[in-house]
Amino acid sequence: MSNSTSTDVDLVGDETAQNVARAALFAALMGAFSYVSFPYPLSPAPVTLQVLGVFLAGLFLGPLWGGASMVLYLLAGALGAPVFAGGGAGIGVLLGPTGGYLFSYAVAAVVVGAIAHGNGGLRPLAETSTARLLVGMAAATIVIYGIGVPFLWWNLDMTLRTAVITGAAVFVPAEAVKMAAAVGIVRSDAIRAG
Amino acid sequence: MLSYEPGDSLAHRLDPRSKLAVQIGFAAAAFAHTTPRGLAALTVVTLAVLYLARTDPRRVVWAFRFVVPFLIAAPLLDGFAWGVWFVPAEAVGPALAGYRVLLVLGVAAAYVRTTPVRDSRAAIQWAVPGRVGQFLGMGVAFVFRFLPVLRADVGRIRDAHRARLGTERSVPDRMGMLVTAAFNRAFERADRFAVALRARCFSWNPTLPELRFSRLDAAALAVAATFVVLSLVTVVPPRTVLSMSVGFVPVGTR
Repeated sequence: MSNSTSTDVDLVGDETAQNVARAALFAALMGAFSYVSFPYPLSPAPVTLQVLGVFLAGLFLGPLWGGASMVLYLLAGALGAPVFAGGGAGIGVLLGPTGGYLFSYAVAAVVVGAIAHGNGGLRPLAETSTARLLVGMAAATIVIYGIGVPFLWWNLDMTLRTAVITGAAVFVPAEAVKMAAAVGIVRSDAIRAG
Repeated sequence: MLSYEPGDSLAHRLDPRSKLAVQIGFAAAAFAHTTPRGLAALTVVTLAVLYLARTDPRRVVWAFRFVVPFLIAAPLLDGFAWGVWFVPAEAVGPALAGYRVLLVLGVAAAYVRTTPVRDSRAAIQWAVPGRVGQFLGMGVAFVFRFLPVLRADVGRIRDAHRARLGTERSVPDRMGMLVTAAFNRAFERADRFAVALRARCFSWNPTLPELRFSRLDAAALAVAATFVVLSLVTVVPPRTVLSMSVGFVPVGTR
């Protein structure tokens, strides 16, 4: 790209501008969610809102912009925005034990969006059946743990048993709560995104 | 919390691309040589890098305290065995891997402390050409801009819920309420922001700071290349690893 002033200004289209702004703000919101945790009786680790954020990114932004939003989240974190758990940042976090979960978010958001909206653009979520939403989120959960646990296993050089205990078994009960919360949010029609 | 702080340390003066290259090379070397000797040498490198970035190592450890439970749980669980309770040999691998993570985080922290967003954005658009790179560059800049705003939003929403005894509700209820409120605010902000951007001729090609390699960057790139070569050599005599780390310090302080 040239830095000279003679380059023509290449304007961003109206719809794209809105999608870029939404994807970026959603990525920032994921970062803000990383500071929020709820104690949950069945899980020794606190439950954060991030996976819920991934579900909603796919549902409200669709597969393309939902996935793009998660890519922005990861890239901003890698380049130093304190968006990872507890205000972490940098390439080190992506290569650390929880890196697999973070990478999986981009794929998972695309999966939720693609299953909920199908082919051919965004559909109103009110017309999407609850079963379809749940299938989408269940598939995304499988993607998240399917990438996250092997990464943890490889990263910390632990046995597979340990990886499954520390990386999945303790978190899975909380995922059901998040799916319930996501369905509740979509069905309540409280989110006014057009 | 670790973030960019202006300064005039050696690391501040480097080009973002060479700093990213050093990080990637360091991580590759650390993953290839997760042995006590390799990690000891890389510890020296990490401390040197943090020194060059004028960053206190204790601050880095504190900033990344959330990974510590993972690092401690893995060796404990792997060393645990029925009957004999604990087999230290089983715990060595995970413990080394955990320490490696801390080192990689340390070097990444030096980048985070010394690189402004605009430089990172210019580096992205240099690395990824075309619309995709431009989207990633502008998007990352917006994330940096809005993160504090949305964190404050989420904080205010939580305060409001607490003040109204929202904490008495069930966890799914509380999650739902918080997320709905945070989403609505974020979407409203995004739509207002999009209008503001369009009003200001939001373009794909704004002028970015010019990236320029200096002689200092040549040294940093040589370090990065050394790391990459070392990571490809499967069996490295320990002396090579040590001389590499010793060689790095004078290059930086010169």
